[in-house]
Amino acid sequence: MVEAYIDFFMRLSAAFATIYIVALGHSLFELSGLLNLSIDGMFFLSTGVAILLSAFLHTLLIPIGVNQLACTILATILTGLIMSLVGLSLAWILSVFPISQGAVGLSLMFLGYGLGIQAGYPVRLKYGSITQFTYPQTPSLYIVTISLSIITGVLIHRLLYSTPIGAMVRACGEDPHIASNLGAIVYKVRLFTGAIGYFLIGIGGSLFPLLWLRYWDIRSYALGYGWFAYTVALAAGRHPILLIPFALIFGGLLEFNIAIQASYGLPVDLAGMMPFIASIVLMMLYSSSKLRRSFEPPRSLGKIYYKEERTI
Amino acid sequence: MRIVILRRKKEIKYNAIISSCISVLFGIAIYLFILWLFNVNLVDAIVILGGSFISPTIVKDFLIICLIGCGLIISFKASIWNIGGEGQFYVAMIPGIILTLIVFNPEESNAGIPSVLVIILVIITGALAGAAWATIAGVLKAYMRVDEVPVTLILNYIAYYLLNYLVSGPLKGKKTYGYLRTDEIPGLYRLNIVLSTPQATSSFEGALYGFMTQVAYYLAVLIAVILVFTFIMWMFKYTKLGLYIKILGANPDYLLTSGANVKILTLCAMALSGSIVGLTGSLYLLVEWGRIPYGIQSHTPGYGYQAILASWLSMLDYRFLPVSAYLVAGLRNTGLSIKIAGLGDTEQSLIILGSFLLAYSITRFISDYEVKFEW
Repeated sequence: MVEAYIDFFMRLSAAFATIYIVALGHSLFELSGLLNLSIDGMFFLSTGVAILLSAFLHTLLIPIGVNQLACTILATILTGLIMSLVGLSLAWILSVFPISQGAVGLSLMFLGYGLGIQAGYPVRLKYGSITQFTYPQTPSLYIVTISLSIITGVLIHRLLYSTPIGAMVRACGEDPHIASNLGAIVYKVRLFTGAIGYFLIGIGGSLFPLLWLRYWDIRSYALGYGWFAYTVALAAGRHPILLIPFALIFGGLLEFNIAIQASYGLPVDLAGMMPFIASIVLMMLYSSSKLRRSFEPPRSLGKIYYKEERTI
Repeated sequence: MRIVILRRKKEIKYNAIISSCISVLFGIAIYLFILWLFNVNLVDAIVILGGSFISPTIVKDFLIICLIGCGLIISFKASIWNIGGEGQFYVAMIPGIILTLIVFNPEESNAGIPSVLVIILVIITGALAGAAWATIAGVLKAYMRVDEVPVTLILNYIAYYLLNYLVSGPLKGKKTYGYLRTDEIPGLYRLNIVLSTPQATSSFEGALYGFMTQVAYYLAVLIAVILVFTFIMWMFKYTKLGLYIKILGANPDYLLTSGANVKILTLCAMALSGSIVGLTGSLYLLVEWGRIPYGIQSHTPGYGYQAILASWLSMLDYRFLPVSAYLVAGLRNTGLSIKIAGLGDTEQSLIILGSFLLAYSITRFISDYEVKFEW
């Protein structure tokens, strides 16, 4: 019985940590006024890069005495850093040039899918199972992961609501022209959120194959889990603390949909569509209630910030 | 370095053509750079890229992308970003299967209804199904102010699961040799024409016969493209609805103050857009697939997404849609040819699509702004 509870906790915390960290990174990015429609592709790219790096680091470092956990942690951090560079580039392009944020986001989504396959498929082909490159399944590790996720969320909350940088981020999201007049250098603020936000997306994305599912498949890109993180962020008004219960509910729904399916005798494909339907219902409830006003998206989200002269 | 970006005072001549050419060249550059990063022979890739644009297999992709693109342009013109073409395309196949295999199956009933009527019914119900699926996002946008981009995208996934559920449950085939898919629709309802051509004596003749075979096979889709294209041209040029849709995209506040019902207009734009995509889905079933396989997400050619690229590349100008649809079809063919040549796999189509869409998105602003670099 105790083992069943531990297993339940480990599965739920892995799902929660993945969805929460990705949604947190996405929220931070969007709070500065940059629309992030590339989320699903970038999430999948992170999963591919993570298993590629993990396999590479295990092959390189295990023979010289570094342990498995250290190799996997290093792979996660490096994935975050690589995605951070992607976030920086994206934020730079969207801040400097007057181009459609939606179109750039969608194109990066496809590019993310393609590059994710390019990165992950050779590992899948060579090793088949990737279990040897994933995090060990010890309850203490899951407790640390869930704690670190929540601590990160609290720190991001503090950063956004108790520091001058956070005020600038939110000001840029509301009206970059006014923020600029008040002294904020809009493109630098957005570079900052791009780097940190995408670092978190990379970390969360790497947890998907290395901690949560413990496998990777070329078809994972059709799962649409990045869109769940998008919906979670939308429903929680991109608020770092409010994201916690939403990530827990959605993470649970995704992880235990097979159990729910078995309990209610639902066909597997109907159970598979449940989280997607729940996403739409959540968006409807959110939009038609008073929550809409409280958690409204930043006013300049997705709008082109045009200023005639840019100095770089 | 200083980058000065100024809004253009005058529109540049041949704006759409110049922007499209720049984005295509930039897209090719991004794609080749990615291939180079992954150690793919660039000369082989360029040869395949060129060959793919004159291969007869381009006909099918061109027609399908052009037709879906016509549908998407309607909603895009109204600034309603219908990213759900993929879902509308597949949902439209459901009534086709029900009508041909259950209601009017010639082996099981003696309804005596002419096959032409059944085919027309399949196409109409397909269009209606596509319209209904698109209208879900339209209703949520118009009445609850829910952003249509995530909704249409999520509806694509729901459509995949819905079809998978139907194919593995109520519509599961009986004569499928153990494969999980629907039965094949009876031959008298199929719309493809198989043309037998004589043995080619030269490569030119071979290519010519190849094109003739393809055009004949997809003749029904070609006719649909011509009809839908004429309809769109007429609608945007001569009807009040077309004008309202254009104003909805350009200046919705003007419409509001003039007393037009913006909510109903949003629904109309989405329904019309979905119906054309749905019509394409039902034609694809009757001409190409003939049955629905299980696991749609792994069988889909991704036309719903490729048509978005075609519409955007045309700068939402339906007159340029055939050109951009041809370009996208060529790129899709390149992805497949590269896969066949062993230079890559499934990722190629996605990378090509992403590269060109990215190039287009970045270069598009050049038509409205000029950029000066000062050192």
